[in-house]
Amino acid sequence: MKVLVAVKRVVDYNVKVRPKSDGTDVDLNNVKMAINPFCEIAVEEAVRLKEKGVATEIIAVSIGPKVAQEQIRTALALGADRGILVETEEDVQPLGIAKVLKAVVDKEQPQLVIMGKQAIDGDNNQTGQMLAALTGMAQGTFASEVAVDGDSVAVTREIDGGLQTVKLALPAVVTTDLRLNEPRYASLPNIMKAKKKPLDTLTPDELGIDVTPRVKTLKVEPPAERQAGIKVADVAELVEKLKNEAKVI
Amino acid sequence: MDFTFSEDQLLFQESVRDFLVNEITPDKIRQLWETDSGRSDELWQQLAELGLTGLTVPEDFGGLGMNELDFVLLAQEAGYVALSEPLVNSVLVATPLLSECGNSAIAEQWLPKIASGEARAVVGLAVNKLVEDAHCADLLLLEKDGAIYAVEAANASLRANESVDPGRKLFAVDFDPAAAVCLADGDTAQALLNKALNRGALGVAAQSLGLAQRMIDLSVQYTSERKQFGVAIGSFQAVKHHMANIAYKLEYAKTPVYRAAYDIANDTPRAELSVSHAKLAACEVADLAAKNSIQVHGAMGYTWEVDLHIFMKRAWAFNSSYGTAGFHKNRVAAALLADNAALGAGATF
Repeated sequence: MKVLVAVKRVVDYNVKVRPKSDGTDVDLNNVKMAINPFCEIAVEEAVRLKEKGVATEIIAVSIGPKVAQEQIRTALALGADRGILVETEEDVQPLGIAKVLKAVVDKEQPQLVIMGKQAIDGDNNQTGQMLAALTGMAQGTFASEVAVDGDSVAVTREIDGGLQTVKLALPAVVTTDLRLNEPRYASLPNIMKAKKKPLDTLTPDELGIDVTPRVKTLKVEPPAERQAGIKVADVAELVEKLKNEAKVI
Repeated sequence: MDFTFSEDQLLFQESVRDFLVNEITPDKIRQLWETDSGRSDELWQQLAELGLTGLTVPEDFGGLGMNELDFVLLAQEAGYVALSEPLVNSVLVATPLLSECGNSAIAEQWLPKIASGEARAVVGLAVNKLVEDAHCADLLLLEKDGAIYAVEAANASLRANESVDPGRKLFAVDFDPAAAVCLADGDTAQALLNKALNRGALGVAAQSLGLAQRMIDLSVQYTSERKQFGVAIGSFQAVKHHMANIAYKLEYAKTPVYRAAYDIANDTPRAELSVSHAKLAACEVADLAAKNSIQVHGAMGYTWEVDLHIFMKRAWAFNSSYGTAGFHKNRVAAALLADNAALGAGATF
């Protein structure tokens, strides 16, 4: 079974992001970039499926600038077999990404597409669902467990108030939640092997996809700073403040 | 000639840094201090799975066959987290000594096990007096009366000694040469011991760079959060100077350390001079980082509760590991004052 994994290049989760002084975007100068943590979980799940003998080939695909090759190489070092970079300098939004992925799916015909439920930069949580809609594939989002059985896959989803297990006919799109697995670290031998694995580069034009942004960002600014708290002397003062200052009781 | 690190070497550094910073947190270090051995078999196995324990093991024995230049940035990262597992000494000192000692039977027996993480080897040189991590070693490579012996753990008798750094485990080791394998003696042993000393000092120097960087990072974080007179104390010029003094010295210390790694990896005639220069420069900056960081942390800097002391004590312990400052200054002086000393561009700078 062929598995397609989407990986996104994002600001490393340890970095405290800051808006640019002109408020047009987030400042990415000299910022460490990394593979989106949810995408890393997706790669790990695909590698585990391969180790179980379920998956036969894992293709890691990324859409972005040339440097996004680094994230594909990371995926290859973690166990993916080959990579595809759809190179574009455009700020591609979820619908554009989903259309490009659909084109890659049409070309590669994977049985399973595994991707992060969202990226930690945009926090959109849209691409997996859009891809499923565009391709007509079944979707299992927010997966905390994935079990492939013949021509179907059981996906346990993390939903409000508990877990829901859905059975999907393959081919399907699965988006990963945080607790699906704990990704491994790339070993040094695998990092070296990754350099020899094939990485093809395409462009949205070659795939016939228009990735022009549909949503315009008006302003980027940091969230309001939280006000410092105060200490109250006793319960009576607390109740008084809640009544008269906060007006919540 | 291009002396910049290769893409692979930088990628290894990034990958190993991610692992070490995530897995070896100050909390984890404190937990390990509470254990009898102070070491973690699980962590050692993880290091092996990453390919680190076999980095300098020849490919024929299941390793990666890399050299000191490939490892120096990784040793730096080991210093950044104050790694206590004997990785740096194993990769830089024990493994090359086993590979080069000329005893193929011992090499065949132990190198594959070291690469897979199944066995740990440590080295005891006369210059160090005590043997680090002898308690968790399966094989000890010990200097005695100018010869080198391979001693299996069961044949070594250990007496524990305290270290200023709770993360270091030091032992006086006795063994009966009759129950050990003599790997080399005479001039052959001396040449091997010199190389082991240089590699050990390089390991200490590289880790000291990491320690200094960690102390800068901790101090910058603290001085950005701690407020006095309504502003972060890091905004005061006097505090900034303390940090800037470490930062520029650290940059100047990196080059000698990387050059020493190059000289050892390429077995150049000036390796000894390079290593002593590197050890002096790196230990000096780590020492300054400890001193200035204590200052900017105010009364908190020296206390058990603050993470700084983990790195500060390691830096102090490293001062005399694989040769004191005096020892290395003497080596630099001897190299510069030798009758046939090459001085000037390309030789001394």
